[in-house]
Amino acid sequence: MMTIKRRDFLGSVAAGSAILTMPGFLSGCGVQTATAIAGTAPENPFMEWFGVDQATVARVMSELTARGADVADVYFQHSRSNSLTLEDGIVSRANSGIQQGVGLRVVIGEQTGYAFTEDLTLPSMLAAARTASAIASGSKVVAPQSFNPSSSGDLYTTTVPWADVGIDQKLPILKMVEAKAKARDPAIEKVAVYWSDGDERVMIATLDGRLVMDQRPMTRVTVVVTAKKGDETQTGYSNIAAREEFSWYTEERLSKMVDEAVDRTMIQFEAIRPAAGEMQVILASGASGILLHEAIGHGMEADFNRKGTSIYSDMMGKKVAEPFVTVVDQADIPRERGALNYDDEGNKAGRTVMVENGILKSYLHDEISARQYDMKPTGSGRRESYRFAPMPRMTCTFMENGPHTKDEIIAAVDNGIICETYTNGQVQIGAGDFTFYVKNGWLVEKGKITAPIKDVNIIGNGPESLKRITMVANDARLDTGGWTCGKNGQRVPVSQGIPTVLVSKMTVGGENAS
Amino acid sequence: MPVNLKDLAQQVVDLAGNSGADDVWATVTNSRDVEFEFRDGALEKVKDTTARGLNIQVFANGRYSTHQTTDLNVDRLAGFVSEAVAITRALEPDEFRKITPEELFSNRPTDDLDLVDASVAELGREQRMAWCRELDAVATDHERVISATAGVYDGTSRSASASSNGFVGSSEATYCWYGSNITLKDKDDRRASDGFYAGGSHVETLPPADVVARTALDRALSRLDSEKGPTLKTTMVVDSRSAASLIGRLLRPANARRVQQGQSYWAPLIGEKAFSDKLTIVDDPLIQRGLNSRLYDGEGISAKVIPIVEEGVISNIYVDTYYGRKANMTPTTGSSSNRRIGTGEMSLEELLGAVGEGVFVTSWLGGNADNTTGDFSLGLRGHMIENGKIGRPVGEMNVTGNLRDLFSRLEMVGNDVYPYSSTLSPSLVFADVDFSGT
Repeated sequence: MMTIKRRDFLGSVAAGSAILTMPGFLSGCGVQTATAIAGTAPENPFMEWFGVDQATVARVMSELTARGADVADVYFQHSRSNSLTLEDGIVSRANSGIQQGVGLRVVIGEQTGYAFTEDLTLPSMLAAARTASAIASGSKVVAPQSFNPSSSGDLYTTTVPWADVGIDQKLPILKMVEAKAKARDPAIEKVAVYWSDGDERVMIATLDGRLVMDQRPMTRVTVVVTAKKGDETQTGYSNIAAREEFSWYTEERLSKMVDEAVDRTMIQFEAIRPAAGEMQVILASGASGILLHEAIGHGMEADFNRKGTSIYSDMMGKKVAEPFVTVVDQADIPRERGALNYDDEGNKAGRTVMVENGILKSYLHDEISARQYDMKPTGSGRRESYRFAPMPRMTCTFMENGPHTKDEIIAAVDNGIICETYTNGQVQIGAGDFTFYVKNGWLVEKGKITAPIKDVNIIGNGPESLKRITMVANDARLDTGGWTCGKNGQRVPVSQGIPTVLVSKMTVGGENAS
Repeated sequence: MPVNLKDLAQQVVDLAGNSGADDVWATVTNSRDVEFEFRDGALEKVKDTTARGLNIQVFANGRYSTHQTTDLNVDRLAGFVSEAVAITRALEPDEFRKITPEELFSNRPTDDLDLVDASVAELGREQRMAWCRELDAVATDHERVISATAGVYDGTSRSASASSNGFVGSSEATYCWYGSNITLKDKDDRRASDGFYAGGSHVETLPPADVVARTALDRALSRLDSEKGPTLKTTMVVDSRSAASLIGRLLRPANARRVQQGQSYWAPLIGEKAFSDKLTIVDDPLIQRGLNSRLYDGEGISAKVIPIVEEGVISNIYVDTYYGRKANMTPTTGSSSNRRIGTGEMSLEELLGAVGEGVFVTSWLGGNADNTTGDFSLGLRGHMIENGKIGRPVGEMNVTGNLRDLFSRLEMVGNDVYPYSSTLSPSLVFADVDFSGT
């Protein structure tokens, strides 16, 4: 059932704090057909979809900017999503969802007025535009009478949209995943499989006359395994996610996911907790990009910096890490979960080097911060949906390869752990303290892996931990898991990656403190 | 479009019947939300929105699915509903899935929960701006302040449901919250930051804005010069605000879904003494003006007070109709409402005095717990307890253990219930807890 809206923000994270999570398994989803609205002359497929024309959008923009604006945009969005659940051997639960609306934003300096409507009729849109414009008290600006369509992006074009894929096609995949997992080990008692797919259309008209359109697919499959040995029960999971279409789900890809889930579950029967305290921490390649997301990524989002609330606010151009450390946020990686052709302010999304050879180089900017810093936006303005105003966010965040090897790094550790899989992370932007929760990993003693570990939180300070990255291997890869980043109550899909890295000291949650 | 949410819900139920559904449950929602954010002397953001939604549960041929849309155009509803029924038919049958039986919703309480304050709808820009300025004046009244953001959030939510087997219900609630987030200059490049918000269904119950902002500033000031704490085993005092979220983690596996799926360390403990006898948890949906008060739950089940843990003994868990049937358990409610945590005699100061030495937790940072085993590890901020008083601020620490084991070592509970959460908890004191720091 729908949750009651009035308490939504109580569950959200306070400003100055941001969280990263693996999926809740019941995200919404839809298979409805287009809801074309009659009465206007279509000029392109997106206009037709939303049932508007250039003149209508111009009329709304004019109303929106009637009291002045530096930046203004009209953000049309239609998203539909589907999910399926397999539990106890049957696929007996489906969910579909449609969200459609238009968000209207006016920015003057650092001030934002925002409104949205889910009724895409002209009177409703004009009323919402007037509400948003109330933030301003100046005189009318010249709004464009027509909008120039930007070229469409090609990072995640699909041949078959999710709307054309029936449940009869998806169902055998869930069954196959379950069968593969059950076949792996007789100790496995339960297997659950969660499927989701969705298509999203956005159309953004801007005050400077651009009309940006983007069609964004997304899919994710998660398998959860519960195994029992004697009185002991353990649960583990794995998932894969991408801006992909149905044919992406090859048997090989699904088998790999199942193997990961089963391995992660079974190893927990042998896993221990490390001793509590500070130690050397090796971050395995891939999902350990969570370190970058928390330790530096959020702190580099320019909204925190223009307000002076980030620990990185006064560090631009300074040395923050060893010369072999380069950290990038890059949206134009084809088909990645965090990929974007254009951001949600209509700017081309691309590559931003945050740390280059150890030097702090660039924040992640939206329109507001870019104007304040007198820079071009980095295409980092994102929003969860038309119900929210955009703000600077990460897309695909990763570290470039370094000069070392994974074996050299393990050999260099006298007493420490390897972190391999994660469930979530969080950061305090001002103090720079961040955490990530390690679900699976390994104990390393005198250069050798000696035992599996599980369920420890790791806590560190962003700038201190960056300085303590003493080795970076040459095996960088992006994680294939379905990460979602939450900030000020807005959730967006992201990707992350990293090569094997050694951090010389972090605080590891453990037992037997003396 | 009918302005009456109940009529619309009933109309959708009728449409689904015509589309061949055996049963259907429809819920229509509508909410108005206004946000004012004010930073460092100037209005920064105004958001004023009205959102709506329709949610249906469809039962057809022993099959089940759920569907949501924000498109309530009456001309398109029939298409939405028939598509939903078609999706349902494509699934596998499930003998345990049935619409909520009438006996679970027929005896609904009629309490007046007093969840609507008419003055919320009357709030205007002037009142919100006055609060913003008041919050800002106090929150920025310190030389170390780099930035302070004041927020005022208010609104009204309405919901109505109807079902093919005769359920009809509606609810309405208002809310109004305000407070500040404050960032202070600390040593080197560090910023100390914290915030505080107060709120509820009625404007008249709010503490004055200057008091709220003062609390936020005091919390932020208490973070100055924080350092990494030590690695040690000691007593942990969790303040009432942080206790609410710790209780939330404890209760995550306390439901029939987790139990039936084999993912709950609570499963073998139901009916048993699982925790310290200082622990009592009651789910109470009938608290007047309660943040999560309600007369029926998301499945329509009539609200009632449900003891979850009584002096350490697990008496009930959250059981919805579906997993209840699967696990052979009687439905209680599938989702939590307000949770009252048993209180003690001592104030926070008295608890700290009785403890003498230990760690006082004032907020959590990340971390997680395994619902299957209860193993947990959480980041924290707070203070050392020195000579029975709040001592130096510490952070960058983890606390690690097992939740069942931790709540078996709950030694004392305070009398200081935190009112701004639906989990109404006092401060909690745990013995022999593993902390990792330097």
